[in-house]
Amino acid sequence: MDTFKSLIIILMSSVLVNNYVLNRFLGICPFLGVSKKLNQAVGMGFSVIFVMVVATAVTWPIQHFLLDSYGLGYMQTIVFILVIAALVQFIEMALKKFIPSLHKSLGVYLPLITTNCAVLGVTIENIDESFTFVESIVNSLGCGLGFLLAMVLFSGVRSKIDDSEIPESFKGLPATLIAASFVSMAFLGFAGIVDNLFA
Amino acid sequence: MKKHLKTISSLSIICAVVAILLAATNHITAPIIKEQENEAAFAALTEVFPGGEGFEQIDISEYELPSTITEAYSEKSGGYVFKIETAGYNSGFVIMCGVDANGAVTGATYIASSETLGAEKGYGDTLIGSTKDTIDSVATVSGATKTTGAYKNAAKDAINASVILGGGTVDLRDEAQILNDNLSAALPDGEGKFTSLFITEELDGVSAVYKADNGKGYVFISGENFIATDANGEVISDVDDELKSSISDSAKKIIGSEITEIDISGYENMPKQVAKAYKTTSGNYVFELKAAGFGINGDAYYNPSGEHIIIKVSATAEGKIIMCETLSQKESEGIGDACANPEFYSQFNGKKEANYREIDAISGATLTTNGYKTAVSKVFEAIKILKGDD
Amino acid sequence: MSNKNSNLSILFKGLLLENPVFVLILGTCPTLATSTTVIGAIGMGLAATAVLICSNMVISMLRRFIPDTVRIPCYIVIIAGFVTVVEMFIHAYLPSLYETLGVYLALITVNCIILGRAEMFAGKNTVFKSALDGVGMGLGFTLALLSIATIREVIGAGTFAGIEIPVLVDYKIEFLQKTPGGFLIYGIMIAVVYKLTHGKAPKKTKFGCESCPSFSVCGGVKCDNTVKEAK
Repeated sequence: MDTFKSLIIILMSSVLVNNYVLNRFLGICPFLGVSKKLNQAVGMGFSVIFVMVVATAVTWPIQHFLLDSYGLGYMQTIVFILVIAALVQFIEMALKKFIPSLHKSLGVYLPLITTNCAVLGVTIENIDESFTFVESIVNSLGCGLGFLLAMVLFSGVRSKIDDSEIPESFKGLPATLIAASFVSMAFLGFAGIVDNLFA
Repeated sequence: MKKHLKTISSLSIICAVVAILLAATNHITAPIIKEQENEAAFAALTEVFPGGEGFEQIDISEYELPSTITEAYSEKSGGYVFKIETAGYNSGFVIMCGVDANGAVTGATYIASSETLGAEKGYGDTLIGSTKDTIDSVATVSGATKTTGAYKNAAKDAINASVILGGGTVDLRDEAQILNDNLSAALPDGEGKFTSLFITEELDGVSAVYKADNGKGYVFISGENFIATDANGEVISDVDDELKSSISDSAKKIIGSEITEIDISGYENMPKQVAKAYKTTSGNYVFELKAAGFGINGDAYYNPSGEHIIIKVSATAEGKIIMCETLSQKESEGIGDACANPEFYSQFNGKKEANYREIDAISGATLTTNGYKTAVSKVFEAIKILKGDD
Repeated sequence: MSNKNSNLSILFKGLLLENPVFVLILGTCPTLATSTTVIGAIGMGLAATAVLICSNMVISMLRRFIPDTVRIPCYIVIIAGFVTVVEMFIHAYLPSLYETLGVYLALITVNCIILGRAEMFAGKNTVFKSALDGVGMGLGFTLALLSIATIREVIGAGTFAGIEIPVLVDYKIEFLQKTPGGFLIYGIMIAVVYKLTHGKAPKKTKFGCESCPSFSVCGGVKCDNTVKEAK
């Protein structure tokens, strides 16, 4: 039961309190770049969830059974980024071949994810926090869900920006960033809920 | 094919070169990083062991240390630093304590505490320089005896542990354990479970009596001796004849003693402190007293949660107290609650009306002491009333 | 003479006109994440600059040796290698900075400035020019971080580089130290830089691809098509 509780806490904290985009500033580029349309935001979000979970499932054993046991911890970054890059390529090819329908909806976002810092970030964080394998998977899932949530919420906010009158200098990205500021302010309100989740 | 080969080989070469570069950098930086991590980990240690060098963690599972010690580090000059997890007012009181090669405390600090009064702050400094012999005389902070007492005991454990790690031996048993071990040695049949007996008879030279919980016999403490008898009062310990007969007499008195309650409602002048009165077959009296301490002062309740101190006293018909014991109390934590301490109430043993005032008061708890004394003094009055009626 | 001029312009364009943070909008994640304190900002800026200069030079050196088909994996390996080297040196000699930057240090690997400059500049230019580009872009990145961090730390925490500023300390607006403050200041700074450059800088009003980290990878072509496909 306690394990279950701690998993729920990890999940809630990564979705809401430590939301990667709105609290940790990871994955900002796709957040700003692909959040203009709702359907794109959802597609990108699901692709990120998928890649995060698969990447964690692969990098966790690599770290614990390969790098740690041979004292190669310093190769972490280089190995992880290569694994993620290869994995993304591989997933794209596999989807294209075996599940073309899924490839049609998600495949287009996959190449964009290779250098998404949220993916590398979550795999490194899982190691730094000494999560177990199951906890790591749950944490990755939570971070991905948090990313999706932020994307979807923000795409709603952005659709309003286009209709408003903005000073010339602020048009475009500045206005978008300020809108992001407001959305992330809303997320500040979640701080503390995890501590009292089971209190 | 050739093109593929070139692609693969160039990527592999780059990977290999980068890997070698990383290994080389790691070779340079790894020892520095390790040293830094050690320094950071040991920064807390130098705080309680100023000037300490070359700390190394000791595997404490190889030694039989006080159970509160969770981590131990050795120091170059022969000193030690210990991490001690204890409980003061609350659990989770974690203390670091350094002990030098001579067994003197070099410093103590707490790294985690949920104590309520904050008395632990700075208390560690008062322990600096104490050794095994002097640490008992370091004063605890009045009003925070539990916290500072736990702190002091932690430092004591650290000193003891340093002796053990240095190859010496230390008696780690606390007083209750020592007593129990002595009782068990005298009466192995008691299976290590004994209860203190409330003595209602005048016994020659006996300071305390313990009864085995399984009814297999008694242990009499006379001076330094622990003398066991069987359930019928026959002495089974190997002692000289004089002591044997004296203990045997005491045992018979104890076993033969029965008490009957006296209905005190009929006595108009009976002091209100006397809750219950009993008479033994030998003609002695036993009283249960309700003393007004800090919680209830006199007749006025000024502490709504106030409760009487319940005291049990046995006395001879001539008005000499045989034994006095506090049964329950709700006096102030760390101050008046010392009235439940045997050191306090056993002072009344053997006292008469003429000299019962000569006991040492509880420091800082005048109301508790006065209420207690007043209640005990009513014993002498009650005996006169009961006797006069006889 | 003209050669000298162009070298200088390579060096200085990164500071304002092609500032990677305010104009090219690259490396947004570390910009926002490490700009709460001046010390953290300078540390991150210089660490990224070091990586940028080294990777730019090496990639430029190897630009004829690296086959075109696998250039991205090669770039990533080289960049990740330098990042790890810098990370190890910081861990060894500046442990407190290492603590401050945390995971963001390793994430320099995926900082789009570095991969972006490799792809856009170092892969096509000489070693010397690439080094200059690295210095310029790195300093531009550092300056941008520093300016955001100064605002966020002075107003948000009432300190500068950890030193308390009298009066301000009592009136700090802690909101700026938090996440929303980062977004807000960044947004305002971009607008200010646009105003300063009188719109001379190529302003990005749209961000489909250019602002995404993979822009350098897909070159905008693939991305553009695919996004259209998704519609």
